[in-house]
Parts: sequence; C-alpha cells; structure tokens
Amino acid sequence: MNSKNKETSVLAKQHRAGWFFLLPATILIFVLNFYPMFQAFIISLKKGSPAALQWTTPIFNNYTRMFQDKLFIRSVGNTFLYLLIQVPIMLILAILLAQLLNNKDLKFRGIFRTMVFLPCATSLVSYALIFKSLFATQGLINSVLVNLGIFKENFNFLGTPWSAKMVIIIALIWRWTGYNMVFYLAGLQNIEYSVYEAAKIDGANGWETFWGITVPLLRPVIVMTFIMSINGTLQLFDESVNLTGGGPANSTITMSHYIYNNSFGQGVGNFGYSSALSFIVFIMVAVLAYINLKVGDKRD
Amino acid sequence: MTKSNEIKVNSSAIQRRLIPTYIFLTIWCLFSVFPLYWMITAATNASIEVARGKIVFGTYAATNFKNLLAAEPLWKSLANSFKYSIVQTVLCLFICSLAGYGFELYHDKTKDKLFGVLLLAMMVPQVATMIPLFRMVSNAHLLNTVWAFILPSISTPFMIMMFRQNSRNFPIDIMEAARLDGLSELAIFFRMYLPVMKSTYAAAAVISFMNAWNSYMWPKVVMNTDTSAMNMPMLIANLSAGYTVDYGQLMMGVLFCSVPTMIVFFILQKQFAEGITGSVK
Amino acid sequence: MKKRLVSAVMAGTMVASLVACSPSPSAPATSESKAPETTAAAQDAPQESTAASADISSEDENTLTVYAWDKNFNIPALEAAEADYQKNVNPDFKLNIVEQSQSSDVENAVTLAGSAGDYSTLPDIVLFQDHYFKKYVTDFPDAWASFDGADINWDDFGAEKLSYSTIDGVHYGMPVDNGTVIFAYRTDLLEQAGYTIDDMKGISWDEWLEIGKKVYDTTGKYLLSMDGDGNDLPYMMLQAEGVSQFKDGDINLTENETFKKIVDVIVRGVQDNAIYLANDWSDYTDQTIVGDMVAGVMNGNWIIPTIQQVSDNSGKWEITSMPTLEGNGKEGFASNGGSSLYITSNCKKLELAQDFLGKTFGAGSTETYDAALKNGGVITCSATAGKSAVYNEGVEYFNNTPVYAQIVEMSTHVPVVEQSDYHYPTRTQVAAAIQNIISGADADASIKDAEDQVRFAMQG
Repeated sequence: MNSKNKETSVLAKQHRAGWFFLLPATILIFVLNFYPMFQAFIISLKKGSPAALQWTTPIFNNYTRMFQDKLFIRSVGNTFLYLLIQVPIMLILAILLAQLLNNKDLKFRGIFRTMVFLPCATSLVSYALIFKSLFATQGLINSVLVNLGIFKENFNFLGTPWSAKMVIIIALIWRWTGYNMVFYLAGLQNIEYSVYEAAKIDGANGWETFWGITVPLLRPVIVMTFIMSINGTLQLFDESVNLTGGGPANSTITMSHYIYNNSFGQGVGNFGYSSALSFIVFIMVAVLAYINLKVGDKRD
Repeated sequence: MTKSNEIKVNSSAIQRRLIPTYIFLTIWCLFSVFPLYWMITAATNASIEVARGKIVFGTYAATNFKNLLAAEPLWKSLANSFKYSIVQTVLCLFICSLAGYGFELYHDKTKDKLFGVLLLAMMVPQVATMIPLFRMVSNAHLLNTVWAFILPSISTPFMIMMFRQNSRNFPIDIMEAARLDGLSELAIFFRMYLPVMKSTYAAAAVISFMNAWNSYMWPKVVMNTDTSAMNMPMLIANLSAGYTVDYGQLMMGVLFCSVPTMIVFFILQKQFAEGITGSVK
Repeated sequence: MKKRLVSAVMAGTMVASLVACSPSPSAPATSESKAPETTAAAQDAPQESTAASADISSEDENTLTVYAWDKNFNIPALEAAEADYQKNVNPDFKLNIVEQSQSSDVENAVTLAGSAGDYSTLPDIVLFQDHYFKKYVTDFPDAWASFDGADINWDDFGAEKLSYSTIDGVHYGMPVDNGTVIFAYRTDLLEQAGYTIDDMKGISWDEWLEIGKKVYDTTGKYLLSMDGDGNDLPYMMLQAEGVSQFKDGDINLTENETFKKIVDVIVRGVQDNAIYLANDWSDYTDQTIVGDMVAGVMNGNWIIPTIQQVSDNSGKWEITSMPTLEGNGKEGFASNGGSSLYITSNCKKLELAQDFLGKTFGAGSTETYDAALKNGGVITCSATAGKSAVYNEGVEYFNNTPVYAQIVEMSTHVPVVEQSDYHYPTRTQVAAAIQNIISGADADASIKDAEDQVRFAMQG
C-alpha cells in the first residue's frame, strides 16, 4: 500500500518533470509564433494606414480581392514552377551524391563530402551576389560560352524570363543539394551493409537495389527533406529579391517577395492585404506537408 | 601471398569501376566550389575588374581591406555577429534539447499531439509574423538588443524535432539506473543526457549557428537604429547598396562573412554527420 | 480549458519577458546615469546599456541623431553641415549619423514605428525620398514636425523641389540634393558619328532616335541605358513634357496620348539599339555605365559620380538638357529621385534641429554646400549656394565645362507635375509593360494591364 503510493508519486513526479522540460520551448513557440500569427490574422481583416487600421467591408475583402490580383496569381505560378522543377532535381541529385559517397571503396570521401556541403555555409546575401555576377551579360558564364562557340553573342541570362528562372533554379540547386545530401548520407549509413550483400547474392543490379532497398529504407528521410524543401520553396524570398529583383517584368517574383513588396518594398505599406496573402501561403504549406506525410506513410 | 595479390587486383578493379563516380563527383565539386573560389579572387581585385568578370587573383586585396575598414565597423560587426550567434546557439540548444528530451522520453498521447501542433509553427511565413513581432519587441523596449535578435529563433520546431528524433537512441535503462541512484530528473538530463548526445548537439550547433550568423531580415527590422549593433549580413547590405558599389571591397566583406561559418563547419564536421545520422533513424 | 490556456500563455509571456530582461549580462549598473562626458566612451558602450530606452533621439542637448543611407553621397553632405554648424554657430554641436543600407530602411523604420504606435524609436531627423513623403504624411500624420515658425528663405529653392515636401502650405522638408535630370554625352563618340553636343540640344525624340541608331552603327555603343525593372525613363520624359502619369489622384495611362507616345519612343529605341535596358540597378550602373557600354547617360544628376568612375574617359563627357517630343529648339527639363531632411515628432530639440538645418542647408551656406559637392558630389537646389565659386569652376571630367552651375540653372526650369503616393508601384508596372511590349505584346493591352494593376493597389 505504502510502496504503491510512493510509486505513483514518483510517476507523478516524472510526469510533471516531462512537462517541465518541454514547457519553455512550448511557451516560446506559442508567444513568438502562434500569437503573432493570430495577430496577423486580425490584421488581414483590416485595411488602411498601418498606424490606423480599419476593418474591411466585407470582412474577408482582402481574401476575395487576391483572386483579381494578376500579379499575385503570377507569383503563385512562379513559386510552384520552382517547386515542381527544382525540388525533384535537387533531391534526386542529393540521393545520387549520397549513394556515391556512401561507397566504402571510394577514396577522398571526406574531401568530396566537405566540398559538396560547402555551398550551404555561405550566406544568402553573398551567394545571390556571386550568382548575379557569374550570370551577368558580361560575366564569366557568357565569356566561356561565347569562347567555346556555343553562343554567338553574349546572352542576357537575367534579363530573359525563362533563363532568369533557370538561374534561380541553378542557384537553389547549388546551395541546397549538399545540405539535403547530408541527411541522405546519414540515412544510408544506418542501413546495414549486409542488406546490400544479400541483394547482390540475389542478383539484383544497382538500379534494382536502389529502388528496392535504398529508397524504401530512406523513406522517412525523404519525407522529411520533402517537407523541408516544400516549406523552403514556398517561402522563397532571398533569391527572388537579391538575384533577379523579381524581374524581368515580374517573371521571377515569388509569393514571399510579393508579400514583402506589399508591406515594405515599395513605400505603400498595405499590411492588411499582405497579411491575408501570407495566411494563404501558410495554408498552402500546411496542406502540402499534410499530403506529403500521408503519402509518405502509406506503405508503412 | 596469393591472397594479398588477389585483394590488390580486386581493389584496382573496383577503383577502375569507380572511375565514372570519380568523374561525376569531381565535376560536382567544381560546380559547388567554383563560386566560392570566385568570391575569394574577387576580394583581391579592383571593383571594375570584378564587374567585368576577372577570375584570377589580383593585387587589390590590401586596398580592398583598407577601404572596408575605413567604410564600415568591420571588427565591431564581426564581434556582434559572434555574440548574437553564440548566445542564440547556446540558448536554442538548451531550450530545444530540453524539449526534445521531454517530448521523447516522457512521451504520452497529449505530448505527441502538442508536438504536432508545434510543428505547424515551422510553416508560418516569416513575413507574416514580422509586424506583430516587431510590435511586441518594441513594446518590451528590447529594440537594438541581443534579445530582440534571438527571441524569435531560440525555440524552433525543427530543432525540437531533431532532438526528439535523436533521443530515441538514448538508452532508457541508464535513466532507470540513475533514478534508483536517487538522481533528480533534471540531474539526469545534465549528467546523463548531455554527454551522451554530444554529436546531436554538435549538429544542432552547426545549423543554429549558421542560421543565426546569416540572419538578415529580422535584425534589419529590430536593430537598424543603432550602427554599433549591426551584424555581418547587414554590413554587407550596406556595402552593396548606395548609388555606387565597390565590388572589390564588397567581396572582401563577403569573405569575412563567409569564413566563420565555414570554420565552424570544418571543426564540427565529423560530429555533424553523426548527429544528423541519429535524427534520421 | 480555454481559460487555462489563456492564462498559461499569459504566464508564459511574463516568464519570457522576465527571462529577457533580467540577465542582461554586460549591462553596466551605471547605465542609468548617462554621464555625457567623453563621447568616445559613450559610443563604445555596448548596446545593452541603451536597451532600457529604445528612444534613440539623442539625450544630450547639443546632439542630434539622423538617418541617412549613402556614405559616398548624402552622408558627406551631412558631415559638411555638421562641421559648418560647429564652426559658425555652436562648437559643442554633434551630429550622430546612423547609416542605413538603403532609403527603404528609413521608410520601413517609420512604417514599423507607426504600426507599433510608438514613434520614440525614430531619430531626430531622417533623410527621406521625396517621392514617398506625401504618402507617409497621409499614413503617419503624427510622425513629423514641420518647419513652422522657423526663419528660412524658402524662395531660394526651386519650386519643383519644394512641391514634394510642402503640404497645405506647410514646409516639412529641408532640401539637400537636387534631382535635376542631365543628359550626359560622350562627345568623342558623337563626333565619330558626325555630331556635336550642340546638335543634341533642343531636338525631338525622333531626331534623337536617328542619331542613336547612327551612334550604335558607328561606335557599337548605346546612346542611352536604363534599369529595365525600375525604369525611370517614362517618368522623366513625361515630366519634360509637363505631363503626369496621374490625374486628380487617379492613375492616367490608357487615356494619356503623351504617355503612349513616350512608351513608343522607348520601345523603338530599344529595337533600334539606341536604348539598352539593363536587368537591374547594379547592371545599369556597373555594366552599362562603368562597363563602358554607352555613349550617353540620362538621369538625375546624382548619377555623375558613377559616370566619373571610369577615369579613362575624363574630358570626354559633356552635359545638356533632354530632348522633347516636339523638338524644334524646345528643351526638356525634369527631376528624378531627390531626397530631403525631415524632422520627426520624436525630436525633443525642435529649435536646435530647425536652427541647424536652417543655418546650413537652408541658408544656402556655401561652406556646407561646397563641401557637400566636393566630398559627396551632392548638388544643391539653392540658388544662393549655386552662385559660389566652387560651382562655377570648370570640371575637368566634363571637358572643363561648369556643369554644376549648369545643373543649378537647369533646375529652375523643371515643371511641377502631379505626384502620387503610387509613384513607385506605377514605375514597376509601366516598366513591366514596356518589357512586355518589346517582347512582342500588344502595346494598348500591356498599358491597360499596368493601369489595372496600379488601380488594384490603389483600392487596397
């Protein structure tokens, strides 16, 4: 009786301790993420000068309004284009690199791994500057292509809509492939080597082992990197601002960049409208992440 | 004798088969290192040469460095960046590892649900919360302080998730043994958990430090009223704005901004890989 | 349950703020007693010490704090004014210049302060872009202090410049620079194509296009370049005609024949290689101007330091006025992108601020303006200051012509046109329309798109 009492009190103490451990982080997230988000939602129902916001009539006017906003629709299109092209290419390259680097017979593995990861240690501001200079009309890429005879004359990469988008995609792949590769490499190192040995004995070729063993075993990592990439791409901001400025003629502008322009970028702060837009982005990210989780878990 | 010969033949055959791999990796590494190489050469060239795309080392390094020192408080900003990044990393690691530990090792249905809710915060766009957050920081009279800088990033769902995942490897028997020895729950965290999870901390430190070091938009909002509070990305932004830009000087600044994160990565590289490993199990 | 959640959040906030406030580690205990002794020590004091008061408008009775954004341009002008005021009025005076990376940082500071309902985060004085000021007075009426009651001879400044900073007859801004548009040409390249600088004066845009074509064919250089995304050409060319993109507060593009003609000139110019549209601002300055791609530059005169970066071309440049649609000797004058100094409502030393600005920039003080010109290339729009000897010297880079006096003279001819809060959104949309027309889109439809998008923003 007595000892049982003691036991429950110990358990209760442990239970309390558990809550105590996660309380600081939880409170901080509620106060510094959810509470501001709630406030942003209130602002999204208002309009006018940031110093004297007034309710819109009808109350969801900022939300209905955005469907007539051609520029916003265009920024949604651009962002999803980056998402659909860049994320798969980047993740496939990252898995491929991880697979190659996971080979125990490979020499200089450490050096290769470091070099592949290095780009994501550069700051966002600087890497945009670097890519802008490389792809300038008089820049290095042009001189190389012209000298090799591939191009007849210098091509304005950042001044042509399709190629400006391409430069953004290349820059994103450059910076983030190594980062994702690290996660895959870590995941691969957890797979027992004997699994591959067994597959080899069964006569499976590299392609079959990759799809039959690597991908299924890596699924949790793949789901995680997918969610991270979707999240990052839908909130893409720095590249659009620093690399192309959203141009030419708004052909590369992203949703976050457009939202920023609506609150700070061009002197006319419309906090209500930009808050409404960011709420929509939040919902998009949440929905995509949810679908991703469902699809990723399906075969478990 | 024959055996070792066989291995040799075998290994050279393996290396031969790996040639395409080497070629591909070398090309990729050139692709990923070249822009960094260019950044370093640009820091040694005059502005006009940089704008015209020169890619070999020049003789302007000293001049660029001198101009940079004259134009901006480089040492002060570097010191600020270190201060902000270290304070943020230490606090973030402490708060998030505590939470990850709590969520995993004391987990029950309620806590798992709460964790799911916290994950939503990862999807909140930064632009959306910036204005309300600014109001809070301003009303708390924290503008231009290190607290303004770190507050939004010391508790992030991503970090909590990483520690939560890694905690699965933490042997629960140790905890039980420690409890029998009369250690308090908090003492277990400090004396058992912390040392065992070293590599997770290293990985988290690299990520947190890089995020803090590169943070630009938020500090610009809460720290722009005081030049002496500026961090490195803000300094670079100062260099790259204005009617005329000196690219040599700018690239010298970019170099100073990039090197510390690379050093941190080099130092913690091995533990970083191990730490990430735990999180993806 | 809900109640408990709310109280938990509240408690959390309190804990967070306690955590945040108490262990400010390096804050010296003496931070309360701000002894204004050695300024060096005060500057070195870590920012924690000022954490308690976010108010950065200076405490010391002889110090003013100001935001400015370009250390090669307007910051030297402010330093010149500080030295002038120290020398001639108050030797204890100090100006604390806080550098911002770009003009929008100052606008954002006002926006954020206004949205928090607390202007105590603003400095005493801000440098502010002229085009934005009216919008910020409308949106944040409590953020500003006027020059009411200050003894300043406003007639000394150009009327067009003052039109940005005067609202209902009340002066808010003290002009610093002068945005008068110059058209600078490389005389050596013109000569190769068979023209002189005088041939460029008072011509029509059609004639200009012919010359541009010839210059490109003979020298391979464009006669004009511009940032294609932040295209200021339509605004400048329209102002030279005395026309605005706005009418009675509304956007006015589709019904604006002059505007359409100007868009047509720009499109033809690009197609004929007379005009080159760069990708962005740095591409415009660094590649087209510093990179020596052009035979002509048309912009606000603050572009001069950029032109002068190419020292090899010294002596080859000269300036003149803009062409117009009509030509036949009619010269074009416009203004683009100036800024002025504004006193904020947070300034507790209004008299000092007014006196400082009034006796330096406001009195056409030659000491201030001469040094501003020498150290930063800032050109005054004060008639008195423009008469000084420094202004009338020949400038070697411009073939020893007295360009600065020429610019001050030109500034008196700039017509006042209707301005709008939506100047920059309009610029972005018009720039996009022009790029679309160049790539083959229908002109009227593109212009209508631009107008719709601006009107959409206006209805926000």
